[in-house]
Amino acid sequence: MTPIKISKGLDIPIAGKPAATLHEVSHEGDIAVYQEFEGLKAKLKVQEGDLVEHGQVLFIDKKQPDLQFCSPVAGTVKAIEYGARRALYRVIIEPSAGDQPVTFNRYTLDQLRGIGRDAALENLLASGLLSLIRQRPFSRIADASVTPKSIFVNAMNTAPFGPDINVAVQGREQALQAGVHILTQLTEGPVYLCLAPSAAEAVRNLDGAEKHVFEGPHPAGNTSVHIHHLDPMLPADQVWNVKAVDLIRIGELFLNGTLPTTSVVSLAGPGVQETARAHYRVPIGMPLSALLDGKLESGEHRIVKGNALAGVAMKSAEHVSAIESALTIIPESEEQYFMGWLAPGINKLSASRTYLSGWNGHKREWKLTTLLNGSYRSMVFTGLYDKYVPLNILVDYLVRAVLAHDTDEAISLGILETDPEDFALCSYVCPSKMDISGIIKQGLAEIEKEGI
Amino acid sequence: MKFLLKRLHKNRHLYEPGGKLEALFPLYEAQETFLFTPPHQAKGAPHVRDGLDLKRAMMTVIFALIPPTLWGIYNAGLQYNVVNQIENASTMTHWIQGAMIVMPIILVSYIVGGIIEVAFCIIRKHEVNEGFLVTGLLFPLTLPPTIPLWQVAVGIAFGILIGKEIFGGTGFNVLNPALTARAFLFFAYPAQISGDAVWTVVKADNVIDGFTGATPLAVAAATPAGASVIDALNEAGFSWSTMFGGAIGGSIAETSVIPILLGAALLIAMGIGAWRIMAGGVIGLTIAASLMNLLPADNFSPFTQLPFYYHMVMGSFLFGIVYMATDPVSAAATNTGKWIYGILIGVLAIIIRVGNPAFPEGVMLAILFMNVMAPMIDHYVVQGHVRKRRADIEARRLSYAKG
Repeated sequence: MTPIKISKGLDIPIAGKPAATLHEVSHEGDIAVYQEFEGLKAKLKVQEGDLVEHGQVLFIDKKQPDLQFCSPVAGTVKAIEYGARRALYRVIIEPSAGDQPVTFNRYTLDQLRGIGRDAALENLLASGLLSLIRQRPFSRIADASVTPKSIFVNAMNTAPFGPDINVAVQGREQALQAGVHILTQLTEGPVYLCLAPSAAEAVRNLDGAEKHVFEGPHPAGNTSVHIHHLDPMLPADQVWNVKAVDLIRIGELFLNGTLPTTSVVSLAGPGVQETARAHYRVPIGMPLSALLDGKLESGEHRIVKGNALAGVAMKSAEHVSAIESALTIIPESEEQYFMGWLAPGINKLSASRTYLSGWNGHKREWKLTTLLNGSYRSMVFTGLYDKYVPLNILVDYLVRAVLAHDTDEAISLGILETDPEDFALCSYVCPSKMDISGIIKQGLAEIEKEGI
Repeated sequence: MKFLLKRLHKNRHLYEPGGKLEALFPLYEAQETFLFTPPHQAKGAPHVRDGLDLKRAMMTVIFALIPPTLWGIYNAGLQYNVVNQIENASTMTHWIQGAMIVMPIILVSYIVGGIIEVAFCIIRKHEVNEGFLVTGLLFPLTLPPTIPLWQVAVGIAFGILIGKEIFGGTGFNVLNPALTARAFLFFAYPAQISGDAVWTVVKADNVIDGFTGATPLAVAAATPAGASVIDALNEAGFSWSTMFGGAIGGSIAETSVIPILLGAALLIAMGIGAWRIMAGGVIGLTIAASLMNLLPADNFSPFTQLPFYYHMVMGSFLFGIVYMATDPVSAAATNTGKWIYGILIGVLAIIIRVGNPAFPEGVMLAILFMNVMAPMIDHYVVQGHVRKRRADIEARRLSYAKG
């Protein structure tokens, strides 16, 4: 396998990489299931006080009513909470011993090679795990009525930080293989498995997928980059993608016939104590406070669901996500430096060569904070963003087309081949501190609403 | 420094909404962020941000302007002392005399420009943009040292108001504000910014024999038919090396090549100045001047026969292409566009210089014209990109389907 080399991009030398160790975490108290999908309208199937079994439906998707979101434990529905505009926020469940877990169709590894698309979708819909598979364009939950042109499995992680598939797969090799077999049932096209150069044998030797190695700085591990290089999309194409760490859970569902109750999360970032930066197998929905207790550095922190570049800030009273397996902790800071515009810049990290750190600073690790490092300014067209997006896209013009609500122009400039996360580095380096990912996200939403 | 920050914060409430001086918040903000980096946090993803902000990027341009500014000060004093035949003139007196000539021009530009900028920020309720720090220095450096101060004030006011603020401020302007200001003076008060007499400060009561004050461009343009333009320049004291060194009369910062190359090196090394535009300009000038050399010398003015390496060191070409043409707001933004934009500036500068004796200095007009054309260049580059990327995907698909 000759690696596909990506040269554009940047590895931000932020401290806090998770160690390649896996710790088991158990939890006795309440757990919570969130409605954490953008654009999904949930219809509740339980009420407060109801007894639920492990695997019982809690809510369904109004658009795709076959898609059911299920409880990862047996217990009592303790509370149902709503967010803005009375949309479902979360269901809190007090675990107790259940009678009989809800079961799903069970297959052997060999059977999975040929169960057919319908049988595969049946389990994925009934368990809600179809929500781990995303559909491009727009990065929404996969639509079961669509047969995708191809499916991309992402076994890489170049953003700071996320779980390492080499760690997560330990002891779950069969489940990952099962996951790949299931995907081959869902498309008539190829299933691409995109690997880091460091991928372990267990991942490298998976059967049934077309394997490719991508090498280079972030975003070499982003699905858009993989699609662009392997099987580029035209506006009418639909492609599915799934993270390899999530595929393990899908495999477990089909092999065991019950809904997996745990997932592997990486706990990383400069805000985590050095010894605690690792991978954890945790019960899905356990409170963050219980997981993070005693593991953080002193001071105020931002808990990010996902990586530091594209993740979402969480409240400390929230719970471990069912769909996102990275937790990144970043110290909050409001520090003001004297004459920052004049300082030589040894102690301030920048990718630009206007700071000394831009010349040689990327070799050491930096304890970065949430500091914006500047003020908001108007957009200046410099072509700077293009250095960080290894897709055939003129970022400045795409951003401008979106801001002008010119959706036709945005489509012809290639917005449908992207995901907001692909532009996170642009926002990172932007001297005007613009939210490029947010603008692209708004553009995608607008196009989705209008129709292509 | 903690003490200073505390003092600043103590008065902050006065300027915040509800405070007595609420309207003047941009002034407070400018002062605080001048002294200290702002305390803002990233609101959403990405949750960490790079150290570079626009303030630092603009300050890098100012740093790159320091060598030509210092040269301009020194040279203004030198020219004064030489032309007025001051006795016992030393390096120190050159510096002092130069500072007395140049500093008032820079100060007036900054003060008048600053007042207008801050006034607009207060009215528009946005933060003071650092762009005016660059404009306020660039503009005076392009003026002759004899410029009346009131014209400096009028010019910078025009440049900032018409060149920038009416479009909505930094980031929205079509033309380079500093060049807009200079062009305004050039056409409104030609007597003080063109001709032979304005490039060196001459004492009012001092009549100097044989001193004309003509610039190399004027000499070259006035070469009589049939004569060699290089000979004419040499006769007037403008050998190639003299013009390269730049100890001659001219606009304040344009005369010497060395400090401008220093500034260009800094801009490119820091990644702030667009090297494609600079390189394009040099290539464009070389091509245009070399093509002119091919014209039959008998039928055209001797100026057409001037080699490109003379053109390169004459007038404001280098200063313009390094500092003015590379303004990211008014220049082309695509990489291909930057090459085209730079090359056309070089070509146009030579055509205007040689072809139109009324405007011996074509660089300013070439850049302004290309500022206007830049969006169109980018438009066609982007359209080409769109066609190519679609064809590329389709071609790759076809090869995929086959094999």
